[in-house]
Amino acid sequence: MSFKDILNSGKFVVTAEVGPPKGTDIKEMIHHMEILKGKVDAVNVTDNQSAVMRICSMAVAKIAMEHGLEPIFQMTCRDRNRIGLQSDLLGASILGIKNVLCMTGDHVSAGDHKGAKPVYDVESVQLLKIVDGLNNGKDMSGNEMKGSTDFFQGAVVTPEANPIEPQLIKFEKKIRAGAKFFQTQAIYDIEKFKDFMKHARKFPVKILAGFVVLKSAGMANFLNNNVPGIRVPQSLIDELKAAGKEKALDTGMNITARHIKQLKEEKICDGVHIMAIGMEDKVPVIMEMAGLL
Amino acid sequence: MIITKKRDLKDLLENVKNYRNFFLIGCSECAALCGTGGEPELKSMKEALEAEGKSVTGTFVAKTGCQVLGTKVELKPFKEAMDKTDCIIVMSCGAGTQTAVELYEDKAVFSANDSLFLGNMTRLQIFDERCSLCGKCIIDQTGGICPITACPKGILNGPCGGCKDGYCEISPDIKCAWVRIYERMKKLDKLQEFCEVTIEAKDWSASQKPRALTARKEKKNEF
Ligand code: SF4
Ligand code: SF4
Repeated sequence: MSFKDILNSGKFVVTAEVGPPKGTDIKEMIHHMEILKGKVDAVNVTDNQSAVMRICSMAVAKIAMEHGLEPIFQMTCRDRNRIGLQSDLLGASILGIKNVLCMTGDHVSAGDHKGAKPVYDVESVQLLKIVDGLNNGKDMSGNEMKGSTDFFQGAVVTPEANPIEPQLIKFEKKIRAGAKFFQTQAIYDIEKFKDFMKHARKFPVKILAGFVVLKSAGMANFLNNNVPGIRVPQSLIDELKAAGKEKALDTGMNITARHIKQLKEEKICDGVHIMAIGMEDKVPVIMEMAGLL
Repeated sequence: MIITKKRDLKDLLENVKNYRNFFLIGCSECAALCGTGGEPELKSMKEALEAEGKSVTGTFVAKTGCQVLGTKVELKPFKEAMDKTDCIIVMSCGAGTQTAVELYEDKAVFSANDSLFLGNMTRLQIFDERCSLCGKCIIDQTGGICPITACPKGILNGPCGGCKDGYCEISPDIKCAWVRIYERMKKLDKLQEFCEVTIEAKDWSASQKPRALTARKEKKNEF
């Protein structure tokens, strides 16, 4: 079953992430794919994440398919103009890539090629419209194409954005532009997430809550201070502190598993997206702890 | 106005080291306001060149250095000084520099400044960028604030996920353009519009270079 069919079947889905490396040695990446195979419903393949130059997401998405994973091809607007984006979407389509996640993309100033010219010819909302057009046989200029795409297109949303109102307005614009599913920025406060879901449930879209495992109280504080749209409540920081250095990671995994379990049991959202960031081997462990395997 | 910044003097002196006689042209408009091409800056450039053993045959602050014909007329009285010079240093923006390039075909012309952006002076010699001259203005749809310029990603439909507490992902010193637009549209009671309108991808053909405009003819048609 495809990711789209699984989501629409009502099963609580789990997606994870594969980060293409810098350089052509993909042994470790393949190892990560093997760990995730048969466990998760789909894997996001990041697109030069944080504006750090790496293998392109399309090639890695194809390799993920060869290793038995269903890829969610992430596409940002930072590095390609509308011609490049559409051309790559057509390319991804003929390679059999079915899911695309449309994002504007981190600014080049965050990355390792700070002198690069950022493109941003279009942005996430407009990219979603482009995908919708290609699915309907038309390119962005309205030209008829010979053969259309059949993408299942998604986008991202930040439920803890501050201020939240303009973020929610953009969320609606993305839905109108054709987004069928959303993966969220990492969430840590289920009660607050429920508020967001109350709003999101008004729309016919699937929501996957984002998770980043906390490895320590220090990491939680770092996220709070430096990462936009992430807010780890003090109670969780205290819990990590109380666990001590040795047990901090286990506690972090426990928190994640506990939250995922709650989301599933209370049917709060449609699935979860676990961003392991180098700890791919922990994804199946967390899934097991959450009762998903 | 066009915001300019002085180039590193050492680099400039290195670039002009093979010339002996200089003429300096400033500009009384933007460059003077930026402190890069008014009388005081010409004076210190003259001193710097003379300290290097160069001779300065003349200096002149043009009224509007990017106005080619006017500048040509203004520079007529300086013919003798200009004849003696083998290098002109222009202390204005890149456009002003190229006025000199056009007027003096046989002289080397160097620019003393880097031209940065079209901006507003918010306080004395503090400038920020407000318009990128995109060729097709859209700020009537964005509460009068230009997202193409004020948002580093030129996003047209609301804040990205990088917005942190109302500030931009690229710097905690920059307010997120889309939070500003949201707040202003809220004040103007235009949130409905903000929600309902999806701004289409921009037609960049209006900013295809090099751009030229003959306003004269258009005026004749209009009136
Ligand atoms: S929309 Fe274009 S013309 Fe209008 S302020 Fe912005 S860059 Fe300038
Ligand atoms: S934080 Fe705001 S201003 Fe900065 S890139 Fe994102 S949308 Fe643009």
